[in-house]
Amino acid sequence: MSSKRHSILPPAPSGPKPPVHFSSSITIADSAVLTGTHSIAIHGESVVHPRARLDSLAGRITVGRRCVVHERATLGAVGVSGRVAESGAAVTLADYVTVEVGAAVEAGDTVIGEGTVVGVGAKVGAGAVIGKHCTLTPHTEIAAGEVLPDYTVVYSNGMRRTDKRGMAELKNKGLARQIDVLRRIIPSNPGKFA
Amino acid sequence: MAVLTPYTFIQCPCSDSSTLGRPSDPNSSTITEADEDERTFDPRAPRSNFSLYPLEYLLYCEDCHQIRCPRCVSEEIVTYYCPNCLFEVPSSNLKSEGNRCTRSCFQCPICIGPLAVTSIETRPDPSLLAAPDNTAAPHSGPYALTCSYCNWSSTEIGIQFEKPNSIHAQLAKLRNGGSTRLTAKERKERRKDPAYRRYQATSSGEGESDQTENLDLETQFANLKAFYQNQLADPNSADTGLAALGDLGFSSPTSLSRIMSIYTGGSLQDRKAKSRLGAMREALKPDEGLQFAHLDESAAIETLRGEGHDGTASITQLVDQPPNLGEEHLHGRSRFISELRPIPYLLRTKRSKRCPVCRHIISKPEAKVQTTRFRIRLVAGSYIPSIAIRPLSLSATAGGGGSSASGATLPGALLEPLKPAHFLLTFKNPIFETIKVTLGAPAETPGRFASKVTVLCPVFEVDANTDVWDEALREGGATGGAGSGGGGEKGERRRGRYDEGSQANNGNQLEVGKIWERGRNWVSIVVEVVPASLRLDQGDAPLREDEDVLEIPLFVHVEWEGEAGGDDVLESVAAKDKGGEAREKRELAYWCVLGLGRIRK
Ligand SMILES: [Zn+2]
Ligand SMILES: [Zn+2]
Ligand SMILES: [Zn+2]
Ligand SMILES: [Zn+2]
Repeated sequence: MSSKRHSILPPAPSGPKPPVHFSSSITIADSAVLTGTHSIAIHGESVVHPRARLDSLAGRITVGRRCVVHERATLGAVGVSGRVAESGAAVTLADYVTVEVGAAVEAGDTVIGEGTVVGVGAKVGAGAVIGKHCTLTPHTEIAAGEVLPDYTVVYSNGMRRTDKRGMAELKNKGLARQIDVLRRIIPSNPGKFA
Repeated sequence: MAVLTPYTFIQCPCSDSSTLGRPSDPNSSTITEADEDERTFDPRAPRSNFSLYPLEYLLYCEDCHQIRCPRCVSEEIVTYYCPNCLFEVPSSNLKSEGNRCTRSCFQCPICIGPLAVTSIETRPDPSLLAAPDNTAAPHSGPYALTCSYCNWSSTEIGIQFEKPNSIHAQLAKLRNGGSTRLTAKERKERRKDPAYRRYQATSSGEGESDQTENLDLETQFANLKAFYQNQLADPNSADTGLAALGDLGFSSPTSLSRIMSIYTGGSLQDRKAKSRLGAMREALKPDEGLQFAHLDESAAIETLRGEGHDGTASITQLVDQPPNLGEEHLHGRSRFISELRPIPYLLRTKRSKRCPVCRHIISKPEAKVQTTRFRIRLVAGSYIPSIAIRPLSLSATAGGGGSSASGATLPGALLEPLKPAHFLLTFKNPIFETIKVTLGAPAETPGRFASKVTVLCPVFEVDANTDVWDEALREGGATGGAGSGGGGEKGERRRGRYDEGSQANNGNQLEVGKIWERGRNWVSIVVEVVPASLRLDQGDAPLREDEDVLEIPLFVHVEWEGEAGGDDVLESVAAKDKGGEAREKRELAYWCVLGLGRIRK
């Protein structure tokens, strides 16, 4: 579940070690947790924070280019529905996706579109398809199987509106700059997961 | 179910109509005792909701020696300030500019989050090393208000600003959609402009062209007012034949000037002499304040078709909207999100509180907005004893046999129906005098489910809240001179403290009239309750919300000797000089409610 806590100590690798496909330009913290049996692919310039958890037990996990997965965020947790990936892809993050601190993206053909921000403590149910440049404000819950159109903002206990600022480009640039900083701050150790 | 922690609420005596507005007079001591005894306070009565407060909410008037709750204080505003920029607004500005922040503080019309001023201009890509000239001015207009929570932007309603500061003034000149509107001052100046007058003269000949102009509320009012003022001033106002009605007619100048003087504060009074009998004509042009109703709503319907329900503003959003004098006339208005405007922050106040009876200030905050301190704050907690409730477990000491075992051991545990439970009430004395406490509780709690209540020790004294070191020194004296009457008594009363260590051995028996435990300025007593059974018979109304909470009303009467009349240091010095002559008896009586816990269903 989203509130799962890990010990402060670097956790001992629990469960099977998944096969990984890392781009050479990614940043992944030593204390990130990668478990599961299916493959985990992380593409160019993405950043995985310490204690982020990627679980490929239910299927393949793909993280696009220039994504940021924050601390204690969980990708691929098996949700209450117990649904597993039918196509073999548990969670797919497109490019420029931010998964904030403590957010959870459940496994089961869940897709998050380009430039979308999954806010702090938010939960995306299994099989949900989030469009491009959406904003899920903190603690938003997206039900399993829901489909969000592009530029949707989900706020204030599930209210929806459309982002008409046309700032998508600007946001992507901002994220790129943030990644530049993060790469300098977070010591990367992709070799540990290979 | 949420765990219920025991609580104490105090009923402010102001809710009792017999004591309202009467300063408590220390000489007339037997005031309400008699009628209070007859009437048990019912914490479940609908009225009680409005008179019960936790101790922390209550203030105390030192002159009236009475509790003051938020309901029975009179408030005075010390400072008006904006909660966003913490700017203090002088009260003179308030009259002219209204009760909202007139700087750049706005709330999102969609989600009421704070709005930030951001530059809309796409900044040059930092990855491009070129364009060094742009680095000089990284932020350049136009600017928009944006919400970082719901991603709303003022560009959605077609509003952007040239400058990043004084947004309020800029916004006043902008209509939704970006078209500018004239402020009242500018309109006045425009009228004086000869070029505009010439334009008006020519266009009025064509007639129709001007009537398409939409007047906003402020403009329409100003136009109408100017028109009628002209009419009143003009001795040759057209006589349209309604003169027969004379002064009583709706169109008669006299009645109109009377109405106008009500609204405009009598500025028209002097013109009354000039006015004549005879009706005036009505406004015929937008310039005179004539505004046609837009009865054709097809555009609104079309938008509704396109945007659907999501495009309309919710009631909360509409209610949060500030009054907008630049708004279109009622008929031109619809209820779409695109018509919402940023909400300037409502100003907040800092208030001082006065006792309504003696007018003394009992709470006064620092006038400066940034400080949260108070200059004066007489909280009730430093005048009346606090009551802490703790469930008492007798299982360890009940081995003797006589006393019954208690069910509730853990705080928040459910109370077993019809099984005696014990609670420890600890009275802590905050004042520097010894207080005598007398408790009164009904034998059965009021309400549908009557639980039995027994206060085992209803009369006791709590020692003064003396200095801890003072105390230690006097301890030594008391044991030394145990033979003398006063010292012996003191020693006796304090013995509980020394017995604490051995309590586990000899066991604290539940004895009527005996204090359970006492300390420097506190006393613990035991209350025994037998919770009622919540079983409902056939046909009984179902259990209401929180009806399973065991609440007992408790009447607290506190008596002490204080310095006569005074509350400040000078007085106390005087009292010492006179050798205790100036001491007088004080008392305070009030109901409180002890919430002990939930009864098992
Ligand atoms: Zn009151
Ligand atoms: Zn302000
Ligand atoms: Zn907003
Ligand atoms: Zn008073």
